[in-house]
Amino acid sequence: MEYLIGIQGPDFVLVAADNVAASSIIQMKHDYDKMFKLSEKILLLCVGEAGDTVQFAEYIQKNVQLYKMRNGYELSPAAAANFTRKNLADYLRSRTPYHVNLLLAGFDEADGPGLYYMDYLSALAKAPFAAHGYGAFLTLSILDRFYRPDLTRDEAVELLKKCLEELNRRFILNLPSFTVRLIDKDGIHDLERLPLAAK
Amino acid sequence: MQSVQNCGSYGKMMEYHYTGPVEQRFSPYAFNGGTVLAVAGEDFAIVASDTRLSEGYSIHSRDSPKCYKLTDTTVIGCSGFHGDCLTLTKIIDARLKMYKHANNKTMTSGAIAAMLSTVLYGRRFFPYYVYNIIGGLDEEGRGAVYSFDPVGSYQRDTYKAGGSASAMLQPLLDNQIGFKNMENVEHVPLSQEKAVQLVKDVFISAAERDVYTGDALRLCVITKEGIKEETVPLRKD
Amino acid sequence: MALASLLKSESADFSLRCERPFAFGAGWDQTELGFGTSAGDGLNFAVKAPLCAEDEDGPERKIEFLHGTTTLAFKFQHGVIVAVDSRATAGSYIASQTVKKVIEINPYLLGTMAGGAADCSFWERLLARQCRIYELRNKERISVAAASKLLANMVYQYKGMGLSMGTMVCGWDKRGPGLYYVDSEGNRICGDQFAVGSGSMYAYGVLDSGLRPDLSVEEACELGRRAIYQATYRDAYSGGTVNLYRVHSEGWEKVSQEDVLGLHLQYSSQTA
Repeated sequence: MEYLIGIQGPDFVLVAADNVAASSIIQMKHDYDKMFKLSEKILLLCVGEAGDTVQFAEYIQKNVQLYKMRNGYELSPAAAANFTRKNLADYLRSRTPYHVNLLLAGFDEADGPGLYYMDYLSALAKAPFAAHGYGAFLTLSILDRFYRPDLTRDEAVELLKKCLEELNRRFILNLPSFTVRLIDKDGIHDLERLPLAAK
Repeated sequence: MQSVQNCGSYGKMMEYHYTGPVEQRFSPYAFNGGTVLAVAGEDFAIVASDTRLSEGYSIHSRDSPKCYKLTDTTVIGCSGFHGDCLTLTKIIDARLKMYKHANNKTMTSGAIAAMLSTVLYGRRFFPYYVYNIIGGLDEEGRGAVYSFDPVGSYQRDTYKAGGSASAMLQPLLDNQIGFKNMENVEHVPLSQEKAVQLVKDVFISAAERDVYTGDALRLCVITKEGIKEETVPLRKD
Repeated sequence: MALASLLKSESADFSLRCERPFAFGAGWDQTELGFGTSAGDGLNFAVKAPLCAEDEDGPERKIEFLHGTTTLAFKFQHGVIVAVDSRATAGSYIASQTVKKVIEINPYLLGTMAGGAADCSFWERLLARQCRIYELRNKERISVAAASKLLANMVYQYKGMGLSMGTMVCGWDKRGPGLYYVDSEGNRICGDQFAVGSGSMYAYGVLDSGLRPDLSVEEACELGRRAIYQATYRDAYSGGTVNLYRVHSEGWEKVSQEDVLGLHLQYSSQTA
């Protein structure tokens, strides 16, 4: 039901997440933010089992922040992704695994933009674009078809809109709006929330 | 549940080969029936129960009252699984003694109710299968009834029936004591004589229709003078 | 062990579990509690919609438990309105019509009850204790956000073990009116309006259609009352009386307690 997407460009990463917080069949909230700011230039997008999402994401968030306090510098996106994966993998083999699917997006001075896909079985992959949820079935092919590694920011936003329009057309559930954020060398920028209604 | 189906309709073993996983779960619970009832008045409280102990079709005992005297002003009625009833009442008794030694005073009915709630919730993941009703006098000397569910949710009532025939007793009490859903009736305060007579009547009715209720009725009338016990015979079939 | 240790602390053991720096995440010490009892024992007010019918596990489910409820709360310009019904049911039997489903945590915090009655009252009482300890330590009242997070973290430790609780924590703090939905699944959501329980859909219908930003106190109270009334009218598992509370900057106050029968006569004479 939930949907996450990320698109990486030459010097930025664009991410979006739906805004619905649901309990059973009821939408409890329509402006819920599923993104967690791990550091100045890293965002963690989190969906999955109720409770697990916030508990796990905040755990990672606080540990990444602690790392900065202890060492005086921040984790790189790659390091944060591998730290997250290690934790998720360890919990997977415990009696209390976290059922969460994640996207981690960040910008590193040395390595440039980075987008990481991670599922609840702690499979980690670096990808130029990625999506989670049932919506991923509908939109990955669009990304496969239209994605170029050298797309501009405007083209990335257009591509994102194309994906969300497809969701609106084919997906049975109503996802009324999406939070969109862009990460580049200057940090995390909030873009206009994309409403999907009035089509 | 293959093991159950192994025996065919003629009682012969039909399948000889193990065909799948067999799950057998031991259940440490039984339902021993019984009904308890408590009524609070202005300056008294009544706790009553039948004395039948049964399991399934068989009656184990005709003289097993479910009222347990806790203090001079508090009586508890326990029905459900008799084993847990005994364990629970013994734990309460021990806790009451500990409280008395520590504080040099006996617990009030309200305090006992609050304590019982946490004792019950302490076994939240393996509950005492007991329906409890406490009857007694509060600090002001007024009658008080506290009813519980098996995991410790409780509230104060003026009258409450619990156990196997609770659904038969409660509507009658709603009508006779609570005057529920009636217009233009005078809400007369309940006298002790009327309460005792009412309790006897509802139990006689319950014994008529509930297989797990019968044999005898044990009544505990709690007043500031003390606890008066009375036994009334009920149907024994 | 965790639960037992909570209950055994008769003597003053108020130490927060500071020795676990990142001590969150579900449990270490659940081994001793590993009895997988079925979903509910005892008083229950169904949190889930009636659409998801409980699966019948036959003779295994011997302990009769109670469920069915409607609770709602919403923010408006003058504070928070909290309205609940008062029915507890065990199967088709109405076990009580006089349940207090609003738990008064302290003079400025309210919690509502849906799901297991014992679960709600026990954990919200524990929350009351934690809130009081916070006050004594910090010389200021706890925020609604912090209180709701304490509760959410407490029940999250028991996730998957059969706790059943859907509650709304309502109050007033420095940030103004506060309203959080917390459940035993681990959800903790800040919001402007919530309804919880088997009759929540009906309550949402009336609530969403009647909510305006410029509601007066009287209009808001009437909206809450009407939403619960309509839910008790449609949902067989809700009923009894409508209890109504209002939270404002000075704390909460109980507005009214009305029998649904009386409301029915009142509303039907209005339309006629």
